[in-house]
Amino acid sequence: MLSATWRSATRAVFGVAAALWISPAFAHAVCGDRIFPATLGIDDPGVGDELALPTSTWQPQGSDGTREFDATFSWTKTILPGLGLSFSDGGSWLRPGGYGWNALDTELKYNFMCLAQHEFMASAGFDVSWGRMGTASQYSPFNTYAPVVSVGKGFGDLPASLNILRPLAITAQLGAAIPGQSWTDGSQNPTTLNWGFTLQYSLPYYNSHVGQIDNDFLRRLVPVTEFAFSTPIANVAPGTQVTTGTIQPGVIYEADTWQLAVEALIPINSASGRNVGAIAELHFFFDDIFPNSLGKPLFR
Amino acid sequence: MHKTMQRTALAFAFALAATAAYAHAQLVKATPAVGATIASANEIRLTFSEGVEPRFSKIALTAADGAAIALGTAKTESGDATVFVAPIVKPLPPGVYTVRWSAVSTDTHHSQGDFSFTVKP
Repeated sequence: MLSATWRSATRAVFGVAAALWISPAFAHAVCGDRIFPATLGIDDPGVGDELALPTSTWQPQGSDGTREFDATFSWTKTILPGLGLSFSDGGSWLRPGGYGWNALDTELKYNFMCLAQHEFMASAGFDVSWGRMGTASQYSPFNTYAPVVSVGKGFGDLPASLNILRPLAITAQLGAAIPGQSWTDGSQNPTTLNWGFTLQYSLPYYNSHVGQIDNDFLRRLVPVTEFAFSTPIANVAPGTQVTTGTIQPGVIYEADTWQLAVEALIPINSASGRNVGAIAELHFFFDDIFPNSLGKPLFR
Repeated sequence: MHKTMQRTALAFAFALAATAAYAHAQLVKATPAVGATIASANEIRLTFSEGVEPRFSKIALTAADGAAIALGTAKTESGDATVFVAPIVKPLPPGVYTVRWSAVSTDTHHSQGDFSFTVKP
């Protein structure tokens, strides 16, 4: 009798311990079968412990002939599961204008929805670009506030007859950048709508759901095209209400704990720049690299 | 400054290379192969990018009409936790079958997926 009780107690304790130990870690931008990779122009809908270092951008030549190169970083720390705070900053080289350190950018973001069966994910964030920070050439005398909504939808729920389309995913972002000051030195500071979307075809998803890819390099690639736009919507100076933006075809290489993305930056009109630029980013997933320390939420 | 950032990134990359990798267990390879047409199968063998915890990982097999197909106890291969195998109890008649798997990697990350294969007449 005692032996049976002990066995039951041992099993119960083991069960609880195992359940606690094995409580799944939800991080990364994972929803159902889908892993949304980190994209460069449009923020992915996930919230996780991650570091983008560096993000190197050769901007398309400005319509006024200026040249710009940026080298930035972004670090996101989860506070609670699904709630993260990110810090972004870096330097810019302008010609003419020289080198300068950018304003600090912070964003509090919450992943409030994941419909696993439909690979649908949504998050909301509030971004602040802090004024009076950075060096002279990048100096802004005011804060800019930007509420942002990001969504992602994978097409893994398509019927088997459309199997070839199941690796497709779309993500989108909509936000408004609201300047904390309407006028500066006689010039209007417009409120802009920042919007866009990405189209992705995940070969990792293809390999695990549609057909086996034997080449180890190929089955880690995600061809992607991003469409990132900005439209002034309020407090706009006459003659300047033009949507600007870039179309960004490229590819993402997904390793197990990091990814590398490279994209072209194609201006959509002359107001967006001349020629083609490029952007590349090395991205580390701390939830995978340091799952028991830096990569887990501060509070659970 | 640019060089400093480059060096920092490089140093970080080297530090990572020396760090044990734990990540979401992604399906690398399957037998029967994903989307394959085969003559017969006596097991479902899944190879993941990370080791999986067999007590909390599952394999299910269903026929085209949704009926569950009996499988034996799924286990990781001896000495290789990245390979997760479930024996098929009875020979499969011709038809399309769907494998549904869920895996918990050794660092507790959860992943899941499904794929189909066909047993030819």
